Amino acid sequence: MDMNAPRPEGVTDGYGPFAHLTAPNVLLYRSVMRAFLAAKERFAVHLRPEDVHAALPAGTRPGGVDAVAKALDALVAWGNLRADPDTGRVTAVEDFYRKRFIYQLTREGEAAEKALAAYDEALGMRGALQAVALHDIVTQLRALLVLAAEEEPDPAKTHLALDGLASRFAALADNARAFMGSLQRTIDLHDVAEDVFLAYKDQLIQYLERFIQDLITLGGRIARLILELEDGRRIQPLLRSAAAREAADATPQEAAHAEQAAYERWAGRWAGLTAWFLSRDGRESQSRLLRGRALGAIPQLLAVVRSLNERRAGRSDRSADFRTLALWFAEAPDDDARHQLWRTAFGLYPARHLTLDAETHAARLARPEPAATPWAGAEPLRISPQLRRTGSYERRGKPRKVEDRQEARRLLAQTAAKQAAETAAARARLVTGGITRLSGLGELDPASFRFFLQLLGDALATWRPGMKHTTATSNDGAMEIRLTALPDGSTTEVRTPEGIFRGPDHAIEIVDLTAGTEGGDGR
Amino acid sequence: MTTTSLAEVLDGQHASDLRKAARALLKQPLLLAHGPSADEFRLVRRHASDLREWFDRNTGWPLQVDAESARLGKIPARLADATHPAREATRSAAPFTRRRYVLLCLALAALERGEAQIALGRLAEQVVLDASDPQLTATGIRFTLDRRDERLDLAAVVRLLLGLGVLRRVAGDEDAYVSGAGDVLYDVERRVLAGLLATRRGPSTVRAASPLERLAELTAETALDSDELRFRAMRRSLTRRLLDDPVLYYDELTDAELGYLTRQRGFLTARITELTGLVAEIRAEGIAMVDPEDDLTDVRMPESGTHGHVTLLLAEHLTAAQGPVRTADLMRKVAELAAEHGGFWSKSAREAGAEGELVEQAVTRLAALGLVSRTGDAVVPRPALARYAVGETVVLAPRTAGTTEVPAQRKAYPL
Repeated sequence: MDMNAPRPEGVTDGYGPFAHLTAPNVLLYRSVMRAFLAAKERFAVHLRPEDVHAALPAGTRPGGVDAVAKALDALVAWGNLRADPDTGRVTAVEDFYRKRFIYQLTREGEAAEKALAAYDEALGMRGALQAVALHDIVTQLRALLVLAAEEEPDPAKTHLALDGLASRFAALADNARAFMGSLQRTIDLHDVAEDVFLAYKDQLIQYLERFIQDLITLGGRIARLILELEDGRRIQPLLRSAAAREAADATPQEAAHAEQAAYERWAGRWAGLTAWFLSRDGRESQSRLLRGRALGAIPQLLAVVRSLNERRAGRSDRSADFRTLALWFAEAPDDDARHQLWRTAFGLYPARHLTLDAETHAARLARPEPAATPWAGAEPLRISPQLRRTGSYERRGKPRKVEDRQEARRLLAQTAAKQAAETAAARARLVTGGITRLSGLGELDPASFRFFLQLLGDALATWRPGMKHTTATSNDGAMEIRLTALPDGSTTEVRTPEGIFRGPDHAIEIVDLTAGTEGGDGR
Repeated sequence: MTTTSLAEVLDGQHASDLRKAARALLKQPLLLAHGPSADEFRLVRRHASDLREWFDRNTGWPLQVDAESARLGKIPARLADATHPAREATRSAAPFTRRRYVLLCLALAALERGEAQIALGRLAEQVVLDASDPQLTATGIRFTLDRRDERLDLAAVVRLLLGLGVLRRVAGDEDAYVSGAGDVLYDVERRVLAGLLATRRGPSTVRAASPLERLAELTAETALDSDELRFRAMRRSLTRRLLDDPVLYYDELTDAELGYLTRQRGFLTARITELTGLVAEIRAEGIAMVDPEDDLTDVRMPESGTHGHVTLLLAEHLTAAQGPVRTADLMRKVAELAAEHGGFWSKSAREAGAEGELVEQAVTRLAALGLVSRTGDAVVPRPALARYAVGETVVLAPRTAGTTEVPAQRKAYPL
């Protein structure tokens, strides 16, 4: 194994660090890279082949260190790793003569590994809705509110809070998207085995219920906090301060619009957040949509359960059953046998019973026949002679005569005229001809009182707290009532033949809007 | 002043709804939530638990109700009854032929394997494929579905399935398919399809070779190894017959069944009356659960119309004969009757040579109602035929004849 000295990084033209994905030993390469990444998390930068060998998972660990060293060198060739001469002490002569290297991740290698991790995560992600994220968002929003209340919000704290908010929110949104996708996959039963689904179902439903609950309660709280922050434009200074802090690192030539760009970015994020939790401009908020989808998922899941049960319901293969029946129908000796088979196999036949007419039924109830009477000896069912002679029942009764409705029409007209006259009189009685007091109305006949009550009701319906005066028009537009509350708080009563109506006194004016046309009507 | 309390009224309402629901199921063991049976379905769904319990205890018929359909898994107690054929879903209601039955089953097998939607053309392809099974071709059945009459058969099968609610038409129509001009798209209601077979065992698990043995195996219940289970089985079987059949003749029962029925007659019939409103007509020869509402049946007697009339007149003749009557004699009788009553009959019934068809129709109807039986070439009246007072109408005729306006009506309804 003549592994050449580490090649310069220039070798990694294009996407060299991804080359190992198509190499025959891809599993080994990937686990080696993961070992380096894991080591880096523990802040170990350099690894010897022995270390890598020890760190490999049992499944992919080759028999000897040599195989690992070979893999390491290959990765060096692709630019994922960098090899440096190992200058450590050795204890065996042969080690001394062997070319020894220690390895570390290159930038390209690390980037490739990150990309692959993201790829794995995105594909493998079942998607989970995080109720925790909702809680965090509430916390961060509270912190922002506190900051907004300060005279000079601390830019560092503001930036941190906004940053936390943005990252939690991004995670939530990503998860929600993944969740919806995986939910749909589950519901459609695509590449999900039946038992897996059944095991998953209960958990999923419970989980959905909990999340929906959180989304309703916390979602409402979040929406309120957002509104509070937006109220009086308290959020903009915070966003500006965060943007200013971000732009502080910009190079002098960028500084001019760096701050503006940062602010726009933050404003965009904020808008995204509000759109998630608040329904605005006729567009439903994301959280509402999510809630709808999650709620809708439950019945859909149940439908899957049902279809699974349905699949199981047939103990035998139903398609085979039907094919067997087809054969039986073909083999049956005659039509009778086929009809029998149809009736028995499908059980779709209706009940069939002899009938009994009402007269015979009543007669039998009055004089029951002994059970030992033969049919021939019992009182028979009488067939209509008409039916026996002609094959159709007689039609009873005469055709209806065309009724003369003249008289009824005249009566109706009279009644209508009378009612119109009474209405006009009642209205005329109510018209006050100027402002008066309720107490000045005097005794009202029932018809007038009914009108009066309607008018008063219409007027009071427009009454709002703190109002002193109101005007209302009756439903038919014929009368107008003007009502003014009196400062003295006196009460009054209106007498009618059917009783006394009591209430606070008001100044009142009732006007007949149709006055002048009513008289000429001639009714 | 009435003293009926609200509770009593509600009880009465409940009982009457329950009765309607039970009758709807007996009339139509498969009810759909959509379409003409929607009202009955809602009633059944509301009373599902009561009905389920009643049917399970008394008949052993399972009742399955879900949001889409209600299905009573009826199994007949008397297997050898050929008077309930599958019928074409048109006015003619012609019984299914061998080809149509086979097509129906092949179509169901294809639907069972298939997706949620299917086109008639695709269904036809699959049926043709399945029909090439060597066992099936050995019976002489062949489908190519190239010819118009074959496509008509398939259309009849599909219309039956549409009527049952297994298929729902989405686009196109069958006539276009029959004439070769188009195709039809259907939704498959898998839920309904799944409940279509009512047998206790899947036919593919049955090994018997003779038709009756096959039926027996399809409906076989678990082994009966205790008196209680035997009695329960008898109760269920007798109740099934009383619910399904127009007349239960004692001479068709085994000794054990007859003994059980004699002891439990009052109990059995009272339970049925309570649920369905049918009343027991108990005679020396058997029991008929008769329907005062004249509704719970698919075949009526007496019935108006030419065929109903001929049936009635032949029933009168058979009652008078008091013994087997040969079909040829009945045809002669019809020819005589045509001279007397033919003016009231439809035109086709008055044509020469129509007697055979008329007699066949009438005897089929009487046999379906358990009023006659056939032995070879002869028709034998059965006891319940005597329940109709066909003879006495002559006595009554003069009294009522004067009050009716027959000639005017005859002109108004020329047949």
